[in-house]
Amino acid sequence: MSSNVTLGFSTEQVVNSINLGLIVVGEDLGILLWNDWMSRHSGISREQALQQNIVTLFGGQLTPGFLRGLNNVISYGSPSLLSSALHRSPLPLYVAQELSQTPARMHQSITMTPLLSAEGGVRTCLIQISDSSNSVRREKMLISHSDAFKREAITDGLTGIYNRRFFDESYIQAVRHSKRHRSNLSLFMIDIDYFKPYNDHYGHQQGDKTLKLVANALFAQMRRPSDICARYGGEEFIMLLADLSEEQAVNFAQRLCASIADLAIPHATSPTADHLTVSVGVQTWTPDQTSEILPLLNGADEALYRAKSLGRNQVVVKS
Amino acid sequence: MNVFSDIEIDALTEVFNVGAGRAALTLSEIIGEEVMLSVPSLKVLSSAEIFPSVLTGKDGKFATVSQVFSGPFTAEAVLLFTENYALEIVRDMMGSQMSIDDLAEFEQEAMSELGNIILNASLSAMADMFDISLNSSLPSYSISSPQDIADRFVDNGSDDNYVLVLHIDLVLEKHHTEGHLIFLLSSTSLSKLVAHVQQYLSNIL
Repeated sequence: MSSNVTLGFSTEQVVNSINLGLIVVGEDLGILLWNDWMSRHSGISREQALQQNIVTLFGGQLTPGFLRGLNNVISYGSPSLLSSALHRSPLPLYVAQELSQTPARMHQSITMTPLLSAEGGVRTCLIQISDSSNSVRREKMLISHSDAFKREAITDGLTGIYNRRFFDESYIQAVRHSKRHRSNLSLFMIDIDYFKPYNDHYGHQQGDKTLKLVANALFAQMRRPSDICARYGGEEFIMLLADLSEEQAVNFAQRLCASIADLAIPHATSPTADHLTVSVGVQTWTPDQTSEILPLLNGADEALYRAKSLGRNQVVVKS
Repeated sequence: MNVFSDIEIDALTEVFNVGAGRAALTLSEIIGEEVMLSVPSLKVLSSAEIFPSVLTGKDGKFATVSQVFSGPFTAEAVLLFTENYALEIVRDMMGSQMSIDDLAEFEQEAMSELGNIILNASLSAMADMFDISLNSSLPSYSISSPQDIADRFVDNGSDDNYVLVLHIDLVLEKHHTEGHLIFLLSSTSLSKLVAHVQQYLSNIL
């Protein structure tokens, strides 16, 4: 080849150094070119491969997709793609893993293009194989990261229960569901009484521990998968339960208060009790009410405010 | 535009349905489920007409796969699916649990292959039935707005460009998807295509 002289390298060197598998097959499917990359990853040397029929060489291991692509190129001159997404591993090629492990089957992306002879008559097929193992691995990693991010985005970092973002999204869905199925929906706003004096007295670390205990205790009161319990703000929690009567909702709110009192967390600076207590505001929407469902948040918040102004450590129902 | 007579339109529709059948077979083989693909209608428009006729009423983006082919006539073949449809198809084909947002990297390659399968099947059906030989480029994939596509067709050469618009019906795992296969041809290439259709008809009639 004349370029050897001017460029200082041969086409053959390029073919054998390139980080791609290169095969050329003729119209009779005989192998005309087989580069070093192919020898390395298939375990079949150039001497073994050349002039062999590619179908025979791989002993029936070629997939229908690979054969269809080859036929498209040889018979119709149409280039073909085999994506790693849809085929994974059409050829028996392997990549070395960690030492001592057996080589793993390589994920591949394959491109087949027709090559016309200078006279235009004879058609051969150039097959390029690239190793997509890395992108497959990267894709898997991205998916698992994105799952983790999605979980993180809806979780409260301190207490591990849902955060306000999750609640706001679920609230809209729950309202829609209740309207459609004409079922009751109860909203509970829960606030820890005198939490600022508690923090001042016991310190923020103890404050954080207590927030976790309260979150766990509230969470433990949930009975159904559709129930939602989230941290709404600093020392404020919110719960959403469907299908409770107004009376059941009040009982549930009382139970919430009792569950926190049962923790018997000492609170030396609380005017209401010697242990930690909560105030709860609750409102239940029933389908026979003429009122709109949406002021539920405001209603429960108003009720909570009243519970606080009435002396805390109690349940107030928005009437 | 009455470039073709009714019987010629029928013949050309038949050719593309043969191609669609081949593509469906290939797709079924890949995903291991029955795939139905058909070309219920076909029309010829001037390239300026493509905007009102094919691209209106869709504010979303299109996923397009195109291949340029040459032989007795030259054309650019473009397969169009709305972006959301395209993602659904790819997800069905990959049978994966991944959410649509996570598909980004594989989506492009898999869509290119889907387009390649449908375009190659159409070209091979033409090659067989008209007894001609065609060469084509590798598929290229892009996401385009309706305006991008219209601009591409109108800018691409002179006023006397024509588009052959095929309506495509794809049924895959209970999802029914519609798309378009569009061939952009010069008037010279279009007359050659007409001549091949007439030749084909005179052979079989």
